[in-house]
Amino acid sequence: MIQPQTYLNVADNSGARKLMCIRIIGASNRRYAHIGDVIVAVIKEAIPNTPLERSEVIRAVIVRTCKELKRNNGTIIRYDDNAAVVIDQEGNPKGTRVFGAIPRELRQLNFTKIVSLAPEVL
Amino acid sequence: MLTALRSRTSSLLRDQSWKLSLSDPNRIFTSSPFFSSTAGAYDVSEVLTLPEVEKILADVKADNVTVIPTHNHCFWADNMVVATGRSDWHLRNIAQALVYRTKQKQKGAKHIMLPSVQGYNSKWIVIDYGKFVVHALDEKARGYFNLESLWTAETSATDSSDHQDLQNAFVKVRPKNNSKRKPAKVSL
Repeated sequence: MIQPQTYLNVADNSGARKLMCIRIIGASNRRYAHIGDVIVAVIKEAIPNTPLERSEVIRAVIVRTCKELKRNNGTIIRYDDNAAVVIDQEGNPKGTRVFGAIPRELRQLNFTKIVSLAPEVL
Repeated sequence: MLTALRSRTSSLLRDQSWKLSLSDPNRIFTSSPFFSSTAGAYDVSEVLTLPEVEKILADVKADNVTVIPTHNHCFWADNMVVATGRSDWHLRNIAQALVYRTKQKQKGAKHIMLPSVQGYNSKWIVIDYGKFVVHALDEKARGYFNLESLWTAETSATDSSDHQDLQNAFVKVRPKNNSKRKPAKVSL
């Protein structure tokens, strides 16, 4: 459950470290974002000397949430952190590698690029 | 929000049946009969096989086509096909050719299954056939993302170390209780 003002970790090597959600893309007045949703976020912390800087507004896909993700077969997936991957307007990831485990639901939500960069797909 | 959730779950239900079946058979949820029985019906990769895709890529003159078997690296696809396009138009043509050929092969069928195409207007187009995934990239994007190194270099070395860690974690170690040791022994 990501809402505006939520801080997220960054799960790729784009150069950003921490994001803050400022808007959820989808319907107007949408409250919460879940895994696979696109958010607008501000970079709150960045690694120096990288293309992305602090206080830059970017788009990101949520890849991990503390809120559990339920599957139809009864599996429940819950991560330790809220994490997102930085993307551009076309949906291409900014970084070249994704870190950590990623749910396979992203593939059905048309983020195969992110899935194919990930080391582990749950 | 409820309606959004509902639509999401319904779409998952529809798609998941074949996509879930691609994963490691050892996992519990894929071995359930519900998923495995419907797996064949939804698989686009049965319509167009890997050699055919390679032939299409050769026909549209995609450069530097490489097929990488990824059994060891990921559970969600068996093969990755990486191809380079010369321009944005060329990339789009590669994707169109693949979709068109799939359509043609199923002419007259009741349900036409098409691969999902992502990133149509960008430097990296992904055509997802289920069991194998075709990546059509710009020359620069291919150098930037370096997909080949991701799927070829990493071997299962990290996995084995993980397994060892796990096995070590399960070994029972009896904690030494030093508090009850006799002081006489120490003095000897």
